[in-house]
Amino acid sequence: MAAVHGDAHGHGHDDHHPSGIMRWVTTTNHKDIGTMYLWFSFAMFLVGGTLAMGIRAELYQPGIQILQPELFNQFTTLHGLIMVFGAIMPAFVGFANWQVPMMIGAPDMAFARMNNWSFWLLPVAATLLVSSFFVPGGAAAGGWTFYPPLSTQGGLGVDLMIFSVHILGASSIMGSINIITTILNMRAPGMTMMKMPMFVWTWLITAYLLVLVMPVLAGVVTMLLTDRHFGTSFFNAAGGGDPVMFQHIFWFFGHPEVYIMILPSFGIVSEVIPTFSRKPLFGYSSMVYATASIAILSCVVWAHHMFTAGMPTVGQLFFMYATMLIAVPTGVKVFNWTATMWRGSMTFETPMLFAIGFIFLFVIGGFSGVICAIVPIDIQVQDTYYVIAHFHYVLVSGSLFALFAGAYYWIPKWTGRMYNETLGKWHFWLSMFFFNMTFFVQHFLGLAGMPRRIPDYNLQFADFNMISSLGAFGFGLTQLLFLYIMINCIRSGEKAPQMPWDGATTLEWTHLPTPAPYHSFEKPPIVK
Amino acid sequence: MDKITKKTANASVWQIAKAVISAFMGIRKKSDLENDAATLKPAQVIIGGIIGGLLFVIGVLLLVKLVLS
Repeated sequence: MAAVHGDAHGHGHDDHHPSGIMRWVTTTNHKDIGTMYLWFSFAMFLVGGTLAMGIRAELYQPGIQILQPELFNQFTTLHGLIMVFGAIMPAFVGFANWQVPMMIGAPDMAFARMNNWSFWLLPVAATLLVSSFFVPGGAAAGGWTFYPPLSTQGGLGVDLMIFSVHILGASSIMGSINIITTILNMRAPGMTMMKMPMFVWTWLITAYLLVLVMPVLAGVVTMLLTDRHFGTSFFNAAGGGDPVMFQHIFWFFGHPEVYIMILPSFGIVSEVIPTFSRKPLFGYSSMVYATASIAILSCVVWAHHMFTAGMPTVGQLFFMYATMLIAVPTGVKVFNWTATMWRGSMTFETPMLFAIGFIFLFVIGGFSGVICAIVPIDIQVQDTYYVIAHFHYVLVSGSLFALFAGAYYWIPKWTGRMYNETLGKWHFWLSMFFFNMTFFVQHFLGLAGMPRRIPDYNLQFADFNMISSLGAFGFGLTQLLFLYIMINCIRSGEKAPQMPWDGATTLEWTHLPTPAPYHSFEKPPIVK
Repeated sequence: MDKITKKTANASVWQIAKAVISAFMGIRKKSDLENDAATLKPAQVIIGGIIGGLLFVIGVLLLVKLVLS
């Protein structure tokens, strides 16, 4: 059954690609491009993480010690932008590049050259974003949501950010079109839609969401640009515009964006949990349906981000109800993962630990999301650290933990080497401990009324902030351990067996050698 | 058996509606699903999903009106 392709080509390294740096500049190979996406996103993760360390260092004690308020605001703004657009999103695209063709039995992505271009736009955008710290007036400082009037008043840094977002958006749209086309047109014979691995399904739906909302983001930043430089008044009340309209347009992009960052993590977790439970995914079809359902619902809930911006009661109730209903399909997913583990022959290697950590902490983030969705409560907690705690539970212990799970799970397939299991477990437990130390206490800070995006605070918030900062430093250092584990694995890890995880059932494990050859599935496998 | 089944046309509106409703709930019986996969075309499901989304929005709006009246 396991017709192994690639063996006929020596070790699969007989391709004729340029060597050295030009290999990476000119590559159209999905694996090379996936690798570049992953390294790029990790580099940006370290940049965004360094900004977070700066934020937490300033908040370690009340008073202004390290960062002046203007620079502090630039740090919070760029931390958010870099983590969302530079770290989490490209990391998922990296996974898609590596995994989607291998999981559906395709030889490469549909548009291989566009794939190269999608990636190489990213360093350009990142350079614009990071260099904005060094222009007169500094980087954008109006928060990652760049609401006007702050964003219409900022300096050159805001323009650099706008162009950067344009480029990142173009890259995302190209990447999504590529992923959609690959999945719809290049599946191996017999790989019907309802046989696709969950990771592929979640990425298909995510890619559609990206194509839907990225142009909206491009539109709104363009309106911002023309408001700033070309005399329009889209968001200027004095000229007949409306700053609240910006919030509506931004969040029409922004809320699906949240799901863009979480649906592929659902996909990764849906691959890892069955493998280490040695059982098929419970309720595969309901997982597919729930993913589609979440995607549709995500487009009709945006205004829950702006309950306090001024809205009729009808609007508040509509968005409150619609938001709370998202908990239903999300609950279906959590139930299915739990049911998959039920009575499974479970083992707890690092990917599984991160996947279980994901479920546990994502549920906390989900529940605090439902709490924030309730209008009267949201009016109390909006713009406080409660909201910060909520979305870090979703994006760090959600998206990031799933990315770690995926990295540990697939690194043997990518490199042919095993990571150090002991160190991997240390990475998980330290991340788990320090993550909660950093963010759990922020719920209390928020409920006590500490506002977000401030460099200084009243004395009553001092203790929890100190705990949170210490946790953040620990979490930041722990991620260097992840870097060490990965480099150690790539350079000198033990040789991985052909099938390191005996519960894995997807094509890249069953039909390809380990490590995966440079060109895989030149002849498509037959899927039964 | 595993060859991509030729879509037989004329899935009933009710069948599309059932598929969409169960998708919104996130729960579907396996036999029904296989039946859907054999008979429904993607376009039907997508159009059904859009209509379902509109009905969902109208439904929540009606609920809000009811609550506020």
